[in-house]
Amino acid sequence: MLRLLATIRKEWQLLVRDKTGLILLFVMPVVLITVMALIQDAPFKDYQEVKFDILTVDNDHGRLGRSIREGLEVGGQFRIIDSLDGKLLTTEKARQLVNDGTYKISIIIPAGATGSIVSNANRIVNDISHRMGMSLSLPVKKGSDSLNVVVYFDPAAKKAFKGAIHQAIDNFLTQVETDMLLGRIRQELRSKDTTVTAASDTLPIKLQAVGLKEESTGIGQQIDVISNSVQHNVPAWSIFAMFFIVIPIAGNMIREREDGSLLRMKLIPGSYLEILAGKMLFFVGICVVQFYCMMLVGIYLMPLLDLPRLTMGSDAAATLLVAAAIGLAATSYGILIGTLFKTPNQALNFGAISIVILSAIGGIWIPLEIMPMKMQVVGRLSPLSWGLDAINDIYLRNGNIAYVWKNVLRLILTGLAMLAIAGYVEKRRMN
Amino acid sequence: MAGIVVKDLYKTYKGAEEPTLKGLSFSFREGGIAGLLGPNGAGKTTTISILCGLVRADSGEVLINGLSQEATHREAIKQLIGVVPQRIALYPQLSAVENLTYFGNLYGFKGKALLQRIMELLEVFGLEKSANKEIYKYSGGMKRRANIIAAILHKPSLLVLDEPTAGVDVQSRGMILQFLRDYNSQGNSILYTSHLLEEAQSLCEEVVIMDEGQLIVQGNPKELIQSQPSCDNLEDVFLHYTGHALRD
Repeated sequence: MLRLLATIRKEWQLLVRDKTGLILLFVMPVVLITVMALIQDAPFKDYQEVKFDILTVDNDHGRLGRSIREGLEVGGQFRIIDSLDGKLLTTEKARQLVNDGTYKISIIIPAGATGSIVSNANRIVNDISHRMGMSLSLPVKKGSDSLNVVVYFDPAAKKAFKGAIHQAIDNFLTQVETDMLLGRIRQELRSKDTTVTAASDTLPIKLQAVGLKEESTGIGQQIDVISNSVQHNVPAWSIFAMFFIVIPIAGNMIREREDGSLLRMKLIPGSYLEILAGKMLFFVGICVVQFYCMMLVGIYLMPLLDLPRLTMGSDAAATLLVAAAIGLAATSYGILIGTLFKTPNQALNFGAISIVILSAIGGIWIPLEIMPMKMQVVGRLSPLSWGLDAINDIYLRNGNIAYVWKNVLRLILTGLAMLAIAGYVEKRRMN
Repeated sequence: MAGIVVKDLYKTYKGAEEPTLKGLSFSFREGGIAGLLGPNGAGKTTTISILCGLVRADSGEVLINGLSQEATHREAIKQLIGVVPQRIALYPQLSAVENLTYFGNLYGFKGKALLQRIMELLEVFGLEKSANKEIYKYSGGMKRRANIIAAILHKPSLLVLDEPTAGVDVQSRGMILQFLRDYNSQGNSILYTSHLLEEAQSLCEEVVIMDEGQLIVQGNPKELIQSQPSCDNLEDVFLHYTGHALRD
């Protein structure tokens, strides 16, 4: 125990003497997560929170135009623009503004669109009445009723974005047409029953027999957190920064080997494992402290920068366990690299580049879910993705240890495997 | 009684074309000061590494105070030996006291007893005023002296030194050599390697000259010099046996 505690104290003394190292360990990660959260805020909002301007040219001036405008505005994601510089937009102007990329989308509602819908509804009601043996003749347009609401998209608009807009407008058209038809039917029924007035007609025609309701998937209460820039970037880049502990550890290992202090330690009676355990405990502790420092940044600093506040879930023990498991995997990786490579340059270059690769494929830069399927399969092999998955389970799904134990086990086993390889390599050196 | 016995030692490193040690044999008495001499690449460091249990020999036998390098004796041998590596095996950012406290703790010493031992040794080596100064601020000679202290904290009965005076000034060298004589006079054995043959001649009562992994000659420096009429000093003897060809 004395050897273990002495090693922890020695590592602490070395760390506090190395002011640059301290800054790299604690300040740089804070800068990193802040910068990443800030620059990735917009792309995240692109998908969820950003408001889009929609140029609307309403040549119809009827119910359809009104309904589309109201429908788009209700969601809060779109801002309707029908005039610029005090002038009403024209179809040509709208097309030009979208084409040159000034606006991303424009909707042109053709003249007579509402009339066409009304005419179509009247035709259906006339047909039903006729088949029921009632004599009814609501006014119907002659000729074709087929008109199109035209949508212009910025040529650079994403496919998913275009699909979503198509879907939304199609829904509004269907809604207006259905409302119009139901209104005509209700009006017709009322006209046949003179005892019912419009005010006393309490029998609504309800189309939606089956509704849609969102429920929690978890065993506990689901936290209503949209995966925003902070919620992704703070844990993700914290894990990335924690793995960067491999740089000081590998450097430390190689320096000890080069200056002979490792040799001195091996010449002292007793197991080197106890010294190694002290070293590991210290660096795992540093990783955990780093993790919580960065979480504090997510909670207290991010809101000051107009970013959302980080939400940490409700199982503190599970979070601590995951942070320690990530720290163990990162520390073991540092020890492995420090053992495998002979010079600090080799170790530092390999360590840094390998972490960048593991983080890129492991969903640190962008969420794994939006990567191509093959990359997702590869990414699931990265220890960084296990750590991030576990943190997301706790933070976003309100999970507990039962949720995260598999990823924690993966991290611990990988850490132990790396230590075993390092031990094997070191033993071979004796021969 | 023989303090160090090396019998028919063979060692070939993985990937090496030539064996480093080719049947090396020698012995030194317990309580003496012995020198292991040889040109670069002779196999001195490998021999010392095998003696200390850091490298395993392919074949042959090593006995330290009668104990072989088997797993059962390894810890006991570590307790007997103090090694002063050629490099300064100390943490440069830590002070001498911090370094020595750490290594003392690894030996199982702690508290006031350890601190007292450290302060005594720092005084012996003239480092008491720099006890709390970081090692990287030390001069070359001070670093060498601190390096020796770290190896004798546990009072080893065999002190192995790899070029302990390399790159130090005359004053520090004088102090180190005097310490080695004093330490030896307390009944402890000393084995040291050096390229400074004049130093070896004045310090050692017995030397082994080895080359290409084999023993070339062993004996008392004075006797070795006398045995070769053309030689005036140990350096002449060394060159007589190992030749003038440059070594890589």
